[in-house]
Amino acid sequence: MNKRTKIELAIVAVIAVILIFVLPALNASGAVSNFTINVWGKYLCYAILAISVDLLWGYTGLLSLGQALFFALGGYMMGMHLMRMIGDLGQYKKPIPDFLVFLGWEQLPSFWVPFSSFAFSMLMVIVLPAIVATAFGYLAFRSRIKGVYFSILTQALTYGAALMFFRNDMLLGGNNGFTDFKFLLGADVRDAGTQRGLFIASAIVLIAVYGFCRWLTTTKFGLVQRAVRDSETRVLFSGYAAANYKLFVFVVCSVIAGIAGALYVPQVGIINPSEMQPDKSLEIIVWVAVGGRGTLLGPVIGAVAINALKSWATRAYPDLWLIILGGLFILVVLFMPKGIVGLPAQIRGFFAKRKSTETPAAAQPSPTAP
Amino acid sequence: MRKFLCAVILLVLCASGIAESPKEVISKTVLLEDSEEQAKRVGALSGANPEELIALLNKWKEGGIFIVENADGTKVAVTLDEDKDAEDKQTARRLDTGAVFGRVVAADITTAETDSTLRLAMKSVLDLAELSSPDLKRRLQAIETMGSEQDPERLPALLAWQAKETHSRAKRAIQEAIALIQLKDESDDVKIAACKTLGELGSIPSQDFLKTTAKEANEAGKAALVTAANGALKDIAGHVTFVNTAGTAFRGLSLGSILLVVAIGLAITFGLMGVINMAHGEMIAIGAYTTYVVQCVFGPGLELSPFGINIKLPGMNATDWLYDSYFIIALPLSFLAAALGGLALERGIIRFLYRRPLESLLATWGVSLVLQQLFRLTFGANNVQVSSPSWLSGNWTVNDVLFGWNRVFVIVFAIAIVWGVTMLLKKTPLGLLIRAVMQNRQMAACMGVRTERVNMLTFALGSGLAGLAGAFISQIGNVGPSLGQLYIVDSFMTVVVGGVGNIIGTVISALGIGLLDQSLQQILGNPVLGKILVLAGIILFLQWKPAGLFVTKSRSLES
Repeated sequence: MNKRTKIELAIVAVIAVILIFVLPALNASGAVSNFTINVWGKYLCYAILAISVDLLWGYTGLLSLGQALFFALGGYMMGMHLMRMIGDLGQYKKPIPDFLVFLGWEQLPSFWVPFSSFAFSMLMVIVLPAIVATAFGYLAFRSRIKGVYFSILTQALTYGAALMFFRNDMLLGGNNGFTDFKFLLGADVRDAGTQRGLFIASAIVLIAVYGFCRWLTTTKFGLVQRAVRDSETRVLFSGYAAANYKLFVFVVCSVIAGIAGALYVPQVGIINPSEMQPDKSLEIIVWVAVGGRGTLLGPVIGAVAINALKSWATRAYPDLWLIILGGLFILVVLFMPKGIVGLPAQIRGFFAKRKSTETPAAAQPSPTAP
Repeated sequence: MRKFLCAVILLVLCASGIAESPKEVISKTVLLEDSEEQAKRVGALSGANPEELIALLNKWKEGGIFIVENADGTKVAVTLDEDKDAEDKQTARRLDTGAVFGRVVAADITTAETDSTLRLAMKSVLDLAELSSPDLKRRLQAIETMGSEQDPERLPALLAWQAKETHSRAKRAIQEAIALIQLKDESDDVKIAACKTLGELGSIPSQDFLKTTAKEANEAGKAALVTAANGALKDIAGHVTFVNTAGTAFRGLSLGSILLVVAIGLAITFGLMGVINMAHGEMIAIGAYTTYVVQCVFGPGLELSPFGINIKLPGMNATDWLYDSYFIIALPLSFLAAALGGLALERGIIRFLYRRPLESLLATWGVSLVLQQLFRLTFGANNVQVSSPSWLSGNWTVNDVLFGWNRVFVIVFAIAIVWGVTMLLKKTPLGLLIRAVMQNRQMAACMGVRTERVNMLTFALGSGLAGLAGAFISQIGNVGPSLGQLYIVDSFMTVVVGGVGNIIGTVISALGIGLLDQSLQQILGNPVLGKILVLAGIILFLQWKPAGLFVTKSRSLES
């Protein structure tokens, strides 16, 4: 374990203590508002999602535009359970969700029945994204679709799925999706205590996912993973089945994204198909790029920083937010290929270079291969 | 000699009778007492100028012709002007000459009456007049109405006109109308023949009438007629299937052409240069908005206020053909605007990222976000209204299949663009350089090709083509800030399926995807489901041919 890793682990430990113990305690005593906890809970879910994207993109070189789909799938599974928990307290006072009553259903469609069970729903949060990812990943990696093609195909997958979920006869709420949740495990979802619990759960999952990824990347598997990123052909020639490695990472990342979605839904109180549009996937990639890909702390920093910026900018400059986001992205891609995390090294390198050559003309950072 | 004189006088009379205008004839006829004679004279009028005749007879029927007495007791037919004064007096004009007769009160004078015999005669003259209208649309409508009313009294007029009609569509319509009327005939043989005709014609509107006939015949126990009617219905159903299939094929072809026009720009930037331009959709939008601006300049002008800066474009307030020609001006301008946009994008951003294709995807997505928001701030978040020039807004109906001119135009245009691009790539020096750089950038650079410059021009060309596509989409769909997003996924798919770096592949895949999409829509009756199936189909297709339809052969390992 080198010095850098030690420093990073120390930082993570401090953040973990703050997130899991300090902030909730402050919230319980009233020093931190419920709103702040709620917003930060959301950021933490985004951070988990960002780590999953980074594991794919930064460590394996797979730029997937489908992570929003897995996030939304996890969210939908959680949403189905929450819809069942509303019971007969909906607008129509019927034992089935309102939108089903509206569509003319008298009884619960059969695939909805098992979602009354919390355990089953949580299982589905993991299983469904994994199944979709396995099926798609198997097809894609088997025929050696890689690079840009993989991105475009995952984008098509997400687009197709969004179109499907927009349909009313999917019986998943169509345009409006699920909302008006009432109870989770017997507790009122909108209650401050429940929200605090969800915040703590998100923090624990985030730290766990971070730990898992840190461990995974140090194993031999992690080495092969990075080798695939840097030169897949050489990995193949060395006798490794690169497709299997990629498939495994893809499935693991889909599950992580699904869990993040499941934690996200009860905190924001709504899930609808707009969460799984290709744009959302690209937005996650912005977080990772800004934070610094190929590191595990980077995506977390990026997700929180960009979302905090978004919260502020959409209120202060609602018209300009998209221009800020787009512009930021262009600048980061062009001038900060290593993101916020890589910034100190970049600045050091810049000064070192300047000292050694004394030519300010070479000020631009040299582009590095992905 | 006396006989001869008589004949001459008769002839002269006859000649003068023919020479008399309908106005004169009617003003005389109105005065007659005997309705039989009146009917005869009105009947003799058929063949005169139909427009005038229709107006006159309708006026008579509606009680707009009056009879007044001269000072010497002779009667005159007059019409009244719409200039009622305080004493209810109106100006009366002689029907035959139009000269002012004097001012009268409508209630005091006699209205020229019509009785049933006369009205019947009028009707047949009117029918024939409508049939002989020089305006094809009016003629067709008259024929159609007569057919659907199934009035046997109109049969003679139709039969009379059938011999004279020259236009093929009108001929067909008359045949259909006659058959429809004959369905009401007394004789079963005539009815069966009519059924057969309708079946052969594949007359879609006659289905209900045939069903009624079949039902009535069934009740009356006429087996032959039932068979004939059902046979006709079956024939028509076959024709309907044909029409639907042809319509689907046409729509598929036009959708494919739109995809093609959109994707061909992408095939150049993505296929030939390997650059993923997520802002390609916004290049389309630039083209569409350019068309909008040009339209506004030809029309009432345009006021924009992005970022609080007021920009006022004066309008030419052009009308008719001048306004219709705005599209001709808009086409090259859309190309130029988008090409300039592409040039700026390439110089500003993409040239730094040629070695990092994944990152060019991300940076151009940033550009796409910025551009979308700029459109929103400049032109508003709602769709803007782009009206088609009149020469693009009609349609042809061939054998019941509808061909919209704008769609036909898109197909023709797509062919022209593919031809143009192919020629450019194969026959011009620039095309040679583009292909050289695409095949081996370093080698081309070694041979002295200025690859930077070639990249720039290629990218501008690809973007310009996207702008052209935008000008077309503005004629077919909505123009809004997120226009580009609608097409970006589809056009990437088209290029990937076609095989990257291959124009022919793009053509085939665009048409294939367009046809498949429309057919699935037709079969499933659901556009979204069709689209999802197409996407799934594409993913499966890439299992079979991972590099698309046409693979560029290369010995390079990392191709």
